[in-house]
Amino acid sequence: MSHIVSIRTQIRDPAALAAACVRLGLAQPTQGKARLYSSEAEGHIVQLPYWRYPVVIDTTSGQISMDNFNGHWGNPSELDKLLQAYGCEKAKIEARRAGHNVTEQTLADGSIKLTIQVGATGGAA
Amino acid sequence: MTRTIEITINPKGEATVQTKGFAGASCKDASRLIEQALGEKTAEQHTAEFYQTQVTSERVRQS
Repeated sequence: MSHIVSIRTQIRDPAALAAACVRLGLAQPTQGKARLYSSEAEGHIVQLPYWRYPVVIDTTSGQISMDNFNGHWGNPSELDKLLQAYGCEKAKIEARRAGHNVTEQTLADGSIKLTIQVGATGGAA
Repeated sequence: MTRTIEITINPKGEATVQTKGFAGASCKDASRLIEQALGEKTAEQHTAEFYQTQVTSERVRQS
């Protein structure tokens, strides 16, 4: 190993977000304004399973607007799944864009591991 | 040695990026784009390999 970095996933790529929704079997995101419980938000709108209100993602900043009343109006794990799926799709997009091979593996704890092989010519990822 | 970048994303959506097989600071160049694409860096750790210098050949002539 050389170095290890921890990252808080931020949704900033609409194409990767759309791919994540396909991966999870969700409806495609729509762009616009959505009404939440006591406010309105504008961005990419995603309806998570059994959530009363959609989540609205500002891909410019990565900020997610939502109202789930501490889990009563929607299971937080559904949003976690979206973040995980987004991270996978985004990493694959970037790796393939750089010309690298990517393999994917699901681990026993539910984590997803992507392995990117960097070419002998040393192409940067 | 095969150079790889391993990305593990846990069920909460938190990602860990590990570079393997790189010597010296070249690992950072390799993974920088992926790290920036995924989100905000929250922690970083260098391993022993990071502090190895990359091998370069040098010829010394003595007269």
